[in-house]
Amino acid sequence: MDGEEIALMARYCDGDADAFRRLYARLAPRLLGYLLRMVRDRAAAEDLVQQTFLKVHRARAAYVRGADPVPWIFAIAHRTFLDDVRGKKRARVQVADDGAPPDLAADITGAPDGTRDGDDGTRELTAATLAALQTLPPAQREAVVLTKLGGKSIVEAAEIAGTTPGAMKVRVHRGYEALRKALGARPGSEGGP
Amino acid sequence: MTGEADEHVPPMGDLLDAELRDLQPVAPRRPWRDVAIVTAAAACAIGALVALLRLRRDLDALPTSWLVAYGAAWVASFGAGTWLALVPRRGAVMPRWRLAGIVGAVAAAGFVAAGLVFAETTAFSLVYAPTLANHLRYAAGCVALGLVTAVLPFVVGALLVRGALPVGARAAGAGLGAACGAAGGFLLHLHCPITHAYHLGFGHGGAVAVGALLGALLVPILAKERSR
Repeated sequence: MDGEEIALMARYCDGDADAFRRLYARLAPRLLGYLLRMVRDRAAAEDLVQQTFLKVHRARAAYVRGADPVPWIFAIAHRTFLDDVRGKKRARVQVADDGAPPDLAADITGAPDGTRDGDDGTRELTAATLAALQTLPPAQREAVVLTKLGGKSIVEAAEIAGTTPGAMKVRVHRGYEALRKALGARPGSEGGP
Repeated sequence: MTGEADEHVPPMGDLLDAELRDLQPVAPRRPWRDVAIVTAAAACAIGALVALLRLRRDLDALPTSWLVAYGAAWVASFGAGTWLALVPRRGAVMPRWRLAGIVGAVAAAGFVAAGLVFAETTAFSLVYAPTLANHLRYAAGCVALGLVTAVLPFVVGALLVRGALPVGARAAGAGLGAACGAAGGFLLHLHCPITHAYHLGFGHGGAVAVGALLGALLVPILAKERSR
């Protein structure tokens, strides 16, 4: 639980627009990183971030003073992603016919592809991991994104995804195993992520 | 994946910016006050309907222990379901929807089973010919009356939790619906003089089960955040 986010949320509810902007600056990159991994399209992910914050804005009266707003906001992002997938059929595997990952990619912080550091091997592995991630079913992909990439605990990830910790553990395990298989099958690879 | 990556903050959209220009303070949710409001709504509904329909005619003849224990079970089920569907654990925004759903399901099954097992009858109770048609007719009437009792607290509760359940709204709805159905069951406990086991199970317990189902269907709609 982060005290600053709690304080910012409280000030935002009191009508302080600057507090909202600071909350946005703290959380938007994390949400973007999460959503990028889910939709694999920067424009779509940025749009989902905007939709998420609009929903947060409209639901801000549901906030409880003293509570950590982050799991709630991530849960709103999760719901926004699901609604988007159901509405626009966007949950397709976006891998080209030749199996290459798409041009657009992003690193774990949500930074655009061109701004990342790292040598060619790391970049290649990252690209392969991101491409393999897109082959997972959405629930497993989200489980891996939230826990392995997002650093959330099993309990936090389950709360965000609206499932039980046990089910989340199974999704993470299956997703991780599928990723290991996918990356292990890469030409020249020696192991998993 | 940290919040310190300020250079990667996506630009704020025009719509969000416009909302911020006219930012008004809001009163954040106070879950315990919400529980009190829903309880008051249930008490008003029960009080009004008891005044309108009168207490059951066999009230004085029923065993006090049965009357009190059954009544306490209805009230406890209402309290537990409402509390779990509206009050988050300390430090959280979202109510305990998973537990609310479990308690709602257990209450629905429990009251149907309890009615079938723990029925008590007196010489002053209302007895009807135990045909399937009669069972269905009287049970439907009591389920409907239970749901009428549940409408006000249920709608109030669903609106109070609006925006707080981006996930788990269906489970929380089942919990809230079962709780308000239990408020309806309590009214039936005070009003309905029919003591047949099937009637208690499927008529009075049925109000909880149908309330849970309706809650699971309606809360995801009613508790969605407002869109302008």
